[in-house]
Amino acid sequence: MSAEDILVKTKLGEYIIKRGLLYTESDEWIKVQNNIVTLGITDYAQKKLKYIVNVELPEPGTTVNAGESIVTLESVKSVADAYSPCSGEVLEVNEELYDTPDLINKDPYGAGWLVKIKPTEPVDKGRFLSPEAYAEKIRKKEG
Amino acid sequence: MLKTTRETPLLKTLRKYGASIGEFAGWITAMDYGNPLEEHIATRNSVTVFDVSHMGRYLIRGDNLFEFFQKLVTKDLSKFKEGRMSGPVLLLNEDARIIDDIMLYYLSDTEWLAVVNAPNIEKDRAWILKWAKKWGYNITVEDITLSTTLIAIQGPHAPEILESLGVNEAKNLSILEFLRNPSVLGEEAILISRSGWTGEEVRSYGYEIMTTVKNGERVFEAAVEAGAKPAGLIARDSLRLEMGYPLIGVDIGNNTNPIEARYWMALSLKKEGFLGEEALRRIYEEGVRRFRVAFKLKKGVRRIPRHGNSILINNRIVGRVTSGAYSPTLGRSIGMGYIEATHLYIGFKVAVDIRGKSYEAKILDFPLI
Repeated sequence: MSAEDILVKTKLGEYIIKRGLLYTESDEWIKVQNNIVTLGITDYAQKKLKYIVNVELPEPGTTVNAGESIVTLESVKSVADAYSPCSGEVLEVNEELYDTPDLINKDPYGAGWLVKIKPTEPVDKGRFLSPEAYAEKIRKKEG
Repeated sequence: MLKTTRETPLLKTLRKYGASIGEFAGWITAMDYGNPLEEHIATRNSVTVFDVSHMGRYLIRGDNLFEFFQKLVTKDLSKFKEGRMSGPVLLLNEDARIIDDIMLYYLSDTEWLAVVNAPNIEKDRAWILKWAKKWGYNITVEDITLSTTLIAIQGPHAPEILESLGVNEAKNLSILEFLRNPSVLGEEAILISRSGWTGEEVRSYGYEIMTTVKNGERVFEAAVEAGAKPAGLIARDSLRLEMGYPLIGVDIGNNTNPIEARYWMALSLKKEGFLGEEALRRIYEEGVRRFRVAFKLKKGVRRIPRHGNSILINNRIVGRVTSGAYSPTLGRSIGMGYIEATHLYIGFKVAVDIRGKSYEAKILDFPLI
């Protein structure tokens, strides 16, 4: 955690929200750089899911639609999907996750990234939540 | 219905050791401490410490406790005596459906203790009082759940942890035996028993310490300092699944009877005069349509079977999964469920549908390890 990140504390836990990223209502983060979108799940999401034992990723080259489930994450406790933030083509997936899916627990904003997508159209950043807005959402949800 | 959440009295202590907090049966408690698979393995190979204070605890007092419980529960208590636990015993309704599986502790002729499942703390208490009233027994039930703690120390190295807690005399307890008012870390605890629900209580060593909140905090910390790895409810779940122990509300409950659940360790059919007996004998005679079984998937299958998944033979549904987990001991996914009595292919293959994909599974008896 760096000094400028946001730490949300609730009665159930503490969650890091990184600045410089955008967030979704379904607890993913995205980073847009050189017109490539990197997708991952948030610290809050990995803490709710608990220890992840299995990740199912799309094939590179797959065409995906915005809002479509593209990754399945399975923890000791439950199963969750991650959704594509945009329409486009899957450029790369994090193959490290096949052998060490718990990288998502250990480093959700770094080594635990999921997929990189080349969007069909430039990403409309206004459709996503800012770090502050996402922090507020968690605070509201968990009190 | 009003939903209330309670916190384990040890929550602050658990947090100190990096507990990942979650909710189970209305309780806020530790799900894991970072890696539940390692916690599972440490329980089997070394020793772990669990806070299980979310389990309900009652002190039950009255003049005819033996007579009353002999009528209320499935298991024959005629050999039950002071300093011993009996259980799991079942509370059945008149239709022989399962209300709960509980543990009884014989403190004295006029005082027993019961440990019940977290979702049923209020329900069981009301059930006990209802039948006491109906049958004319003068019995009181004091709920001591929130004012006490229950800590389980499980695994082959558990005796060493007891030594460091200063309760050497407890090391030689036999299974389901307990010591009353032992001195733990120099303070008087309620009891220490040779028990648990991980399987290690029978495979190697398992102890449970019931004590005050203050002493519980010290016991948990001292156990960790002495080398017990903190473990949470996720590891507890995969451990009990390997043993084939059912979970109330998930694998058994008011839609199941103990015969189809094959809950033999909680039954004594020789016994007469208990609640649900008539229905139970009728079921026993007429037979059942399904049985609870265990199963394992092939190595390399990463998906975990979940409650509600179908068990199939040539695309025909012949059963349902009730619980599943990844078994670190076997290195594969395992599960528990009910299969039609006509297809009780123990040792043979079926398929389990997990999220639309079919996986080969081998039907097995309990335990899986």
